[in-house]
Amino acid sequence: MEQSKTTRMGDKLSVKKKELQALVREPFLLILIILIFLSLLLFSAYPVWQVLKATMVGEDGLDLTIISEQLTSSVFLHTLWNSLKLGMVAALFATIMGFIFAFAVTRTTMKGKKFFHLIALLPIISPPFVIALSVILLFGRNGIISNGLLGLENTNVYGFTSLVLIQILAFFPLAYLNLRGVLESIDPSVEDAALNLGASRWSVFKSITFPLAVPGVLSSLLLVFIKSIEDFGNPMVIAGDYKTLAVEAYLQITGMYDLRSGAFIAIALLLPALTAYFIQKYWVSKKSYVTVTGKPSQGNIKINEKYIVYPLFAFCLLITGIVLLFYGSVVWGAFVKLWGVDNSLTLDHFKYIFTVGFDSIKDTLILALASTPVIGILGMVIAYLLIRKQFIGKKLMEFFTIIPFAVPGTVVGIGYILAFNEKPLLLTGTAIILILAFVSRNVTVGIEAGTNSLRQVDRSIEEASTILGADSFKTFWKISLPLMKPALFSGLVYGFVKSMTSISAIIFLVSVSWNLITVSILSQVESSRMGAAAAYCIILILIILFVISIMEFFVNGGFKKRRES
Amino acid sequence: MKGKKLILLSFVFLVGMLLTACGSEKLTSSEGESSKSNKLSIYTAFPEQEAVTYIQEFEKETGIDVQFVRLSAGETLARLQAEKSNPQASVWYGGPSDTFVAAVNEGLIEAYQPEGIDQLPEQFLDKEEHWTPIYVGALGFATNQDWLKKEGLEAPKSWSDLLKPEFAGEVTMAHPSSSGTAYSIYATLVQLIGEDEAIDYLKKLDKNIRQYTKSGSAPAQQTGLGETGVGISFAHDILAPKHEGYPIELTFPEDGTGYEVGAVALIKNAPADQLENAKKFIDWSITKAAQDIYSESESFRLPINPEAITPEGATKLTELEIIDYDAVWAGENRDRLLEKFNKEVRGQDAAE
Repeated sequence: MEQSKTTRMGDKLSVKKKELQALVREPFLLILIILIFLSLLLFSAYPVWQVLKATMVGEDGLDLTIISEQLTSSVFLHTLWNSLKLGMVAALFATIMGFIFAFAVTRTTMKGKKFFHLIALLPIISPPFVIALSVILLFGRNGIISNGLLGLENTNVYGFTSLVLIQILAFFPLAYLNLRGVLESIDPSVEDAALNLGASRWSVFKSITFPLAVPGVLSSLLLVFIKSIEDFGNPMVIAGDYKTLAVEAYLQITGMYDLRSGAFIAIALLLPALTAYFIQKYWVSKKSYVTVTGKPSQGNIKINEKYIVYPLFAFCLLITGIVLLFYGSVVWGAFVKLWGVDNSLTLDHFKYIFTVGFDSIKDTLILALASTPVIGILGMVIAYLLIRKQFIGKKLMEFFTIIPFAVPGTVVGIGYILAFNEKPLLLTGTAIILILAFVSRNVTVGIEAGTNSLRQVDRSIEEASTILGADSFKTFWKISLPLMKPALFSGLVYGFVKSMTSISAIIFLVSVSWNLITVSILSQVESSRMGAAAAYCIILILIILFVISIMEFFVNGGFKKRRES
Repeated sequence: MKGKKLILLSFVFLVGMLLTACGSEKLTSSEGESSKSNKLSIYTAFPEQEAVTYIQEFEKETGIDVQFVRLSAGETLARLQAEKSNPQASVWYGGPSDTFVAAVNEGLIEAYQPEGIDQLPEQFLDKEEHWTPIYVGALGFATNQDWLKKEGLEAPKSWSDLLKPEFAGEVTMAHPSSSGTAYSIYATLVQLIGEDEAIDYLKKLDKNIRQYTKSGSAPAQQTGLGETGVGISFAHDILAPKHEGYPIELTFPEDGTGYEVGAVALIKNAPADQLENAKKFIDWSITKAAQDIYSESESFRLPINPEAITPEGATKLTELEIIDYDAVWAGENRDRLLEKFNKEVRGQDAAE
């Protein structure tokens, strides 16, 4: 591992040159890169640029008053700090939780791994407002647990603590997916060798497993941090007086009718997000994490020591309990007359949906199914290009992919209207604009997972393939993609779920011909029809779990298994 | 090569998108662009099932095919601002008049006054004749009945009732700088008792406030869920959860209350082929037939048409003690009043 690193450092320049030459030899690859670059420029960067421009240009030319006003406002700075604090705490704990889950599922002989895997995926499916609502109904003043079970009076669920807890629960699956991919890709023979040489489980973990997983840990921290500061639904319902930037941006736009200040506040979120992003990239790029070298390796010796497995099992069980508690109360809400008040069982809410609201379910499913494969494949291809190919504008491409992911959906939505509402780029009102928004907003998770996986693969495997005559496409499809299997799965799952459940960007892009299920849910919540909202969520969750299991089948069955895990 | 094909295919798809983005008309235009269409596209702030009730009736009467997108009023405004050059809908149906006033100021509304507008009470009309009022909602107090019973209290019946010590930490309203509803409360008080007195009142009320919520309907919902004793909201926002079955009692302040006027308007630069249908829709929206449906839709909005039926369970506008609320004044003084609120009522908390 060390040696390959030093030789590579020395040859870095000549390798770069060689690769640039190789690029010219492969015109298709070149065209592909240009195409992706242009798409990202047009569909990721340009819309956000449009919004930024709108904040800077007043009625008579350049006008920076809004920016200077905000930057010197103590409310803005305080809110910024609130967001950062929230993001850091949520990122830290969600990543720890995700790591423990991923480690338990990939490295031990723990029982019920399939079940825990499913549980860890469940919280990504968080339809707007509904989980926050179930927190209120469980732990609020009249909450089933706080008041009914524990007899507490006057509990207050609104504020920072509740918000952070909800976010940790909502975003730990992101860390889990990412880290599971990384841990699965680490060649187990390295760990096994250490064990055979007499190292303890702890020192194997401390000096091999964890250091190799560092890129995954850092990128999980990053993804959760970004999603936490960008989150709108949870703080809107549960934050109480705790202000965050994403919510303030939305309220400026829709409550104060001040599009320009609101848009600026939202775009300001890019700053911490990008800073975190580049810190992470810089850190990771300094080291090599290659373990998959193509030499034959055997399945690793799973941890079966009771003193390790039992605590892990207990932890997973505890989290499972919490997840099931929240989602279980949504199920409960869907089947009772009036969630929280009248507990007699009924099927009315489902009857209502099947008579009124089935179109939105169908539309949502069509759009999500159309965007998911694009999100998955595009994510892997971009990851491959970023890690393996040298080309001009690579950094810029990387930068473009993070933008729509890091700004609040409101800005993406408004930016898409500003950018694509006039000829020749007239897309508003079509399904294409929704699909494009889904893809550009959700591809980042796949890219992150993909790059983390590829970092562990020695490029000599791919070089061998090229030397044997395969072009980049064939190499990607036959060699790299199978090695990125878990990453592809993460990208697909995240892409699909978020396409099915996102709201903030979509609210500006839904049109008369395409109505989406989350918009219906929101409308139900707003008119206090919590039962119908809960019933929508149940249907949504069932559809998503069904599709995820199909994806699992295809991704894991479609490729030949490289090794038994 | 199966793999290669698949990758190529997905990029053909990408190229396709790029190309369509570059202007092929057929794929990109939204439905219904023939020169004279039987279609009408609407943005509505009414909740989905309520909007359906009204629109189906219109379709039955006229045979026009109406399609709608549901957005909150603030979102509609933002969306109209963004798609100014090429709006995707012709009519904006429902939402408080202050968002319409803001839209007029941004040049997003095409002035249109429907047939029969002279029948409507003058105090609710738009003096500049841009938008048309369609319903009125009064501010009221929602009180949780279970909580009242437990504490042995009576629901508040006046603004000063809210200051009583037994309501300490039990009153919830939205924050005036994030919600139009809460700003209406504030402006009502200023017009009712004077500016300094209103600030003084809100300072005292602040001690009884449990939470300033972000959205205007949240206080009513939280009252229903028992999260707070009393919530201040518009009557239609209070009656919605009450109607669903939440234990809420609705009262109106006897010393006078403010109201919101819901409106409908024509969107500027809207698809030309829909113009006639759009006007027909606005004409229809203030007829007795259209306004009678409020009583069936269970929304408890008060019809603006004096001949229309008042929904059962709602108080007639004429029987309510409403003040002569000046929406234009309220709009013009908004920034100043909000700054004063943040500084004097919320004090150092304002930065949090």
